[in-house]
Amino acid sequence: MIASHAPVPHGPIQPGLGALQLEEHLRDRFAMVRDPRDLTGLTMVVAPERLREAIKYLRDAENLKFAMLLDVVGIDYLSFPDHRESRFAVVYLLKSLDFRHRLSLKVWVDEERPAVPSVHELYKSANWAEREVWDQYGIVFTDHPNLKRLLNHHEFIGHALRKDYPCQKRQKLSVNDMMIDQLEARLKSRGYTLLEHGEQHPGSLITRPSAVPHTGAPPPPGGATGARP
Amino acid sequence: MTFKPLPASVTPEIDLGDSFVTTTVDAVVNWGRRNSLWPFPFGTACCAIEFMGVVSSMFDISRFGAELVRFSPRQADLLIIAGTVTYKQAPVLRRIYEQMCEPRWVISAGACATSGGFYDCYCTVPGIDEIIPVDIYIAGCPPRPEAFLEAIVQLQNKIDRESMKEQRTVGV
Repeated sequence: MIASHAPVPHGPIQPGLGALQLEEHLRDRFAMVRDPRDLTGLTMVVAPERLREAIKYLRDAENLKFAMLLDVVGIDYLSFPDHRESRFAVVYLLKSLDFRHRLSLKVWVDEERPAVPSVHELYKSANWAEREVWDQYGIVFTDHPNLKRLLNHHEFIGHALRKDYPCQKRQKLSVNDMMIDQLEARLKSRGYTLLEHGEQHPGSLITRPSAVPHTGAPPPPGGATGARP
Repeated sequence: MTFKPLPASVTPEIDLGDSFVTTTVDAVVNWGRRNSLWPFPFGTACCAIEFMGVVSSMFDISRFGAELVRFSPRQADLLIIAGTVTYKQAPVLRRIYEQMCEPRWVISAGACATSGGFYDCYCTVPGIDEIIPVDIYIAGCPPRPEAFLEAIVQLQNKIDRESMKEQRTVGV
């Protein structure tokens, strides 16, 4: 018997705002304007001072529910033809899992003072995404908890994806980029205490649950190197 | 026990027959080294997948005595860089090379490790010989397993020509 080609049952698609409705809604509520450059989907330009408020609203509103931040992207319009706005832009790509639509939010960023408020408190994924944009474009995200380079090494000078960076200019790294601070923070959050410190392989760090009082005695066998509390 | 001298008619060389051979220290040492290479794979990209094929039964690197892959540089004498190396990784690669005991050899496998490949950009090392000395380069993107084996054979020939009199360069 041939299986019928009935559509695969999905969960009920809840009614959200359609693209045109959404555009009008955001224009009225946050004074956004549609970016004329958007060829696919909907791109709305928002003022940086209203960015956080707007994203929080988009995330929480009952008929929008943009629960997912897909990416944060930087753009350098340095050599873009007939460009009149600021040199840089940051674009937030949002997705609504409930209503299955997407939205791009664009913020123009000044060349002299390239700063945008961070949204890491609204979306956890913004933490690394904003670090990447800072690394590649030199756009500062104010109030970011750990604005360090993500892809390039710590001795890198300049920002590689800016259009005025010569893309074949290579920069050597002399000392390995130890990520000990991040490791330390993660271990502490899990209740471990760091006993040894310094220039060494992270695997050789001896940790112990902080619940066990530190007596100065050697750590128990088997429980010293990786056992979780 | 008393010492009995051999009869004058018997010469000891004839008596021993085939039970010994004459050779040089270089030949013996190189014979041992060339036939028991211990590779350390520094695999960062698709070339490393190809290396898995080289180690596995189809191509079987153990036919050339180099099957014992070690993941500690202290236990290996052949460093195989299979894949793209970025500047962020470069100090790690350098350190792994320095941790290997002498004598040590390096095979650069594939276009990326050899020249940076098509990554002609700000972050990719244009050939690992900027960082560490290389003995054998393999072409290909990624190279076929046969090319890996050819590199092993060529390295064995190179080891054959080495001499203890010439000290290898230590950590340039």
